[in-house]
Amino acid sequence: MKSSWWMPDIPKSAVLRRRMFWAYVFVAAPVVALLVFLAGPILFSGWVSLHRWDMLSPVGDMPWRGLQNYVFLLTRDTIFIKALGNTFLFAIGGVGANTILGLGFALLLNSRIRGRTVWRVLYFMPVITAPLALAVMFSFIFDRNYGVVNNVITALGLPRQPFLSGPHQALMTLIFIAIYQYVGYYIVIFLAGLQGIPQDYYDAAQVDGAGNWQAFRFVTLPLLRPVMLFVVVTNTIGALQVFDLVFATTGGAPANSSMTVVLHMYNTAFKFSRMGRASAMAFILFAIIMLITVMQVRLLRDRAYQD
Amino acid sequence: MSLKRSVLVFLSLALVLSFGAATLAQDTTLTMLTHWGTEDQLAAQQAIIDAYMAEHPDVVIELVTVDFGELRAKIITGRTAGISADVYHFYHLWLPDFVNAGVLAEPPQDSLTYIDENVAQGTIDAVSTSDGQTWGYPTEVNPYLLVYNKRLLAEAGYDAPPANWEELKEIAAAITQVDDSGAISQVGLGVMPGWDSGIVHPFSALLFSNGGNYLSADRAMAEFNSPQGIETLQLYADLVASGGTDASINGLANFPSGTVGMVIMAPWWRATLRAAEGVDFETEVGVAEIPVGPSGDAPSSIAYTWLFAVDSSSPNKPAAWDFIHWMNAEHNDGAGSAIGDFLVNALGAIPSFNHDQAAFADSMSDHYVSAFVAASAYARPEQIVAGGQEIKTLLQAEIEAVLAGMTTPEDALASVEMQANAILEEQRMMAEE
Repeated sequence: MKSSWWMPDIPKSAVLRRRMFWAYVFVAAPVVALLVFLAGPILFSGWVSLHRWDMLSPVGDMPWRGLQNYVFLLTRDTIFIKALGNTFLFAIGGVGANTILGLGFALLLNSRIRGRTVWRVLYFMPVITAPLALAVMFSFIFDRNYGVVNNVITALGLPRQPFLSGPHQALMTLIFIAIYQYVGYYIVIFLAGLQGIPQDYYDAAQVDGAGNWQAFRFVTLPLLRPVMLFVVVTNTIGALQVFDLVFATTGGAPANSSMTVVLHMYNTAFKFSRMGRASAMAFILFAIIMLITVMQVRLLRDRAYQD
Repeated sequence: MSLKRSVLVFLSLALVLSFGAATLAQDTTLTMLTHWGTEDQLAAQQAIIDAYMAEHPDVVIELVTVDFGELRAKIITGRTAGISADVYHFYHLWLPDFVNAGVLAEPPQDSLTYIDENVAQGTIDAVSTSDGQTWGYPTEVNPYLLVYNKRLLAEAGYDAPPANWEELKEIAAAITQVDDSGAISQVGLGVMPGWDSGIVHPFSALLFSNGGNYLSADRAMAEFNSPQGIETLQLYADLVASGGTDASINGLANFPSGTVGMVIMAPWWRATLRAAEGVDFETEVGVAEIPVGPSGDAPSSIAYTWLFAVDSSSPNKPAAWDFIHWMNAEHNDGAGSAIGDFLVNALGAIPSFNHDQAAFADSMSDHYVSAFVAASAYARPEQIVAGGQEIKTLLQAEIEAVLAGMTTPEDALASVEMQANAILEEQRMMAEE
């Protein structure tokens, strides 16, 4: 039997051929699922982004708009531009803090402190708490008039702060909540990375006369770079797609000061029935995430190799 | 024929016959989607459905409710997924969008005649498109009025609600209480940030009471960016500056707890206020006309409505319209309709149909609802237009920006006007394509 593109020319025992056939069948199932549930919707969304579609009219009746949706978003949609800026700030603040705090706490938990397991559980608890529950809890905690944080602040003689209800503080407060929510996850990741570094390296560094800082700088950090890459990339992707926390706490208010791209996308699609424009937003966000991810991977991976 | 084969043939025949019989006797199943989701409201709706099903044993009705904030998305995604409800109850502002997209089925002539004969023309217009086509049975009519806490006004030294904006500002500032730490324990006028209707409808009521307009009469242009509109938004800025209002105290959430002096609100709030612990509904809750602005000459207001309609893709349109008609029709003289009873007694809302307004006049005669009934005679219906929800949301954000001190009334209204007119222009072009 001749070989084909799907059946390579390999030793032709009947048993092996049968096995190969079933191997392709089993591989085909997830590939088909991927095409139907991932590639298909992505391509469809790309097609929709070039049209005006309200999600209610038949797909065949969508009026063609070309790149109008993209041009509108990038030149005239002030809320989108605002949301983009907010989302970047959210990502920069969240990723920076989660990386630094995650590593810092992981170093502490990796040392011989008392009640290490209890600390780990405590830090991880917000990760498994429902985001909606956290949002409601922090809405009370940061309330301008009755919130416990303001009670503490005023007891210290400082002025009361609006936090989530203030246009200049809402986004910062959301970043704080997101850090509280996710830092435990990154602590666990860093902890796993730290525990994967052989003790021999530290012993060798000590023999060479390295102190704690030098051991951290020249042993821990270089060997943690792959973990750092994972943390930074996944955290950035997640932060740029933030939705649930904002939806449940401020809804983008006051006056869009905490609006994020995905929340604006949701409103545009389901409140204003502009699926074409919302799809264009999704593609712009995708391009941004892709660009940032490639840059991060190149920067951190290349440096990891250099080290 | 062997015994085994005979049994097989018999079973096959039985299967085919039972399937055929089941198909012939299949019930008509209708799904009704509403936003009335509290326990009491669900029970009241189910009672109506059960009564209809008892009279129509061949019809099964399933009730689906979602929060108002998700209702539009539920309708849209249901349609896209091919699992839309047969009967919708929805906010009339969405009507032009739904009609343009072919979501709704035209009511049968009998229904249109019934609505024409039993509903005030203004309310019919509110559930009709600009071509005069009526698309469903109107339900609740919701004008906005000034709801106030008599006790808080009295404690501030006032025995009557404000009649004009100067009085509104004065009384609101007098009611507000801020403690030494800067915490606001009581606010004069409660606003409702984060909720489009809670922001835009009170603004519209004040705008109309100041002689302004929302859209032009032909609904082709935004008209809120007028001297009257700027005065209205300046009122908000003045109230913030004087401490008469503060966006951190939500009127909707805090009036029932007795910490808000005044709120501009709709009648359906009655059930909440009756159950409130911070304010006594009978003795402390007052309702007054919207204070008149400096450019206005009489109190005015805005009224919105909802409607029952049928999905155009429903396979059971006649049954769906029959069910809607049954809910809204008066079956015994003077008894009112099932929905009228629900609206008045479960919600505290004003029903659209004349027979319901007559039948439940006693229930609507309390000091609270009666004021709204009087206002429904002069309140201007919310102008519905394709893209209306988007315009409303944009205006909401700008009003909130003024409340937050982020922009001026002039800049806020100019910005929304430009965007609103672009949306209206786009919708016109879409209609022409």
